[in-house]
Amino acid sequence: MNWSSKNSIRLSRLCVVLFGAAALSILASAPWLVKAFVEFSRAALKNQAEALLLITLYTGGIPAVYILWQLWRLLENIQSGKVFIPRNVQLLRRISWGCAVGAVICLISGFYYLPFFVIAACAAFMALIVRVVKNVFQQALLLQEDADYTI
Amino acid sequence: MPIVVNLDVMMAKRKISAGELAARIGITPANLSILKNNKARAVRFSTLEALCRELQCQPADLLEYLPDE
Repeated sequence: MNWSSKNSIRLSRLCVVLFGAAALSILASAPWLVKAFVEFSRAALKNQAEALLLITLYTGGIPAVYILWQLWRLLENIQSGKVFIPRNVQLLRRISWGCAVGAVICLISGFYYLPFFVIAACAAFMALIVRVVKNVFQQALLLQEDADYTI
Repeated sequence: MPIVVNLDVMMAKRKISAGELAARIGITPANLSILKNNKARAVRFSTLEALCRELQCQPADLLEYLPDE
């Protein structure tokens, strides 16, 4: 592994930490954020919008933090040179399902606030991309095993 | 797998240890063990060549085809 790829992984891990910190601070300040959003938003939000937005944020926060934790572990494995291992395939599968859960939460939330449909589509597309990457890792795992057992 | 590697037989005939053979053909003892225990999925021609050279034998002395029952 050369210098730049090591730094690239470090940068990715730093981004995961930053996203994690952002996610946790958003979750911690969710009541104030939602209040400010409802007050300043020009969208025609219904009476219970504040409570619904809070529910969306908190339920959506669970898969978000879970995905970040799985990403952190994946990067940890990659950094230690363990790339094509069954554990990474499992981590990618979990990340993909995490995105899918996020997509479902946003899809349901889209019924009271339309822009959530866009986020749901993005999360579903992300789930699909990660799933394809997982499939690639699965095939690479077989190739790696073949290479390991070629003497 | 129906292909059997008779490396242990040839090694016994030539009275050579696994460690020494591994060092002579330039592979790790762990990889030689994989080969010896029929766990290998493929053998490189370069490895086969080195084995034949060091054990003074033919590839057929090392590999045998045994059809599945």
